[in-house]
Amino acid sequence: MSGKLVTVGVLVAGLVAGAASGWSSLQNGMVGGESYSGWSGSKVTGSVDADPWTRARVAVSGLLALNKSQAIYFRRNTDDSGARLREDCRYRVSGGAMPARWWSITVYASDNYLPLNSDDALSFDQTEAPPDGKAAWSGVLSPKRPEGEAWASTSKAGDYDITLRLYQPTAAAQADYASIPMPKVTKLDCGGAA
Amino acid sequence: MNRKLKLLGLFVGAGIIGHVGLVMAVPHGLMSLAMSRMSGDGAAINQFVFGDRTTKDSRRVVRPSPDLAYASCVYDLSKGPLLVSAAPSPNQGYVSLSVFAANTDNIAALDTTQYPQGIRFVLKRKDQAAPVGVQVVVSPSDKGIILDRRLAPTAEMFAEVDKARRADSCAPPDQS
Repeated sequence: MSGKLVTVGVLVAGLVAGAASGWSSLQNGMVGGESYSGWSGSKVTGSVDADPWTRARVAVSGLLALNKSQAIYFRRNTDDSGARLREDCRYRVSGGAMPARWWSITVYASDNYLPLNSDDALSFDQTEAPPDGKAAWSGVLSPKRPEGEAWASTSKAGDYDITLRLYQPTAAAQADYASIPMPKVTKLDCGGAA
Repeated sequence: MNRKLKLLGLFVGAGIIGHVGLVMAVPHGLMSLAMSRMSGDGAAINQFVFGDRTTKDSRRVVRPSPDLAYASCVYDLSKGPLLVSAAPSPNQGYVSLSVFAANTDNIAALDTTQYPQGIRFVLKRKDQAAPVGVQVVVSPSDKGIILDRRLAPTAEMFAEVDKARRADSCAPPDQS
């Protein structure tokens, strides 16, 4: 093989390997960013201050995300024990007063789109899980509709994750994500054992 | 030995260029794809397009919220600025207009908490003139996307806010 051919081959191999490592670095989405009680979020999502890697990760898994002055996004794919969220399990998501005008919890399949089920329950929000007298609220993630509770269906969700959206967060929440009382995600049971 | 070292250096250098080049190109590429999808391959530029209620079949943009009603305007400022406005929803439900540049940056977000009577601003490039007395948003790129988000977690609320958002405008000032 001529020296020139070897040089071109090494150049192409380097470009391909670099592009592959670049693409790989974008595949974890917003999961793996700063962690807050099991939830991951980035303060520079949607911001002009985002570094190229954050900007590209958001483009892949959260294109057209708002900056934190308007909305804060958190995401997780594990329960509070650290176990991977499973389609066939039931989980209780519970929290207290959220520092925002409005919040929601949504289930997303691994392709970053909504699960392909026909349950018409792809999320629940504070209008469906209103806080009680002590500002506590809860909802259920499960493949079957629970009785009388806020519900987001995990049917056909596969290896899913959930996103917490906080719209119009308070100034304190924007300044310090660690001050946000993050909802708990507690496994109830699996495989229809209720 | 010297040649092997040179080839190793070439491989590493090309790897860095490939890595950084892809990371820099991805936002522009995905934004171009989104603009093409939202504008019907360029048929609807500088005008709002009103999305149906978000369902499992909503696949234009990743991670859509089923609790929101979306309307989008793919903008092109190459021929001049745009006057953008959005009417409030019934019962003062959440409404925001957010502007995204061609590199995906959210360069502005205005909502009806700040502007309860409705949102109104001029979107322009740095070197373009704007009408006096109107809020101005400067875009770093000719092209991008304006997104209208409205709280609509139920079919009934979606129907209500859909009526309100039909008053949205995204057009040159002399056509608004």
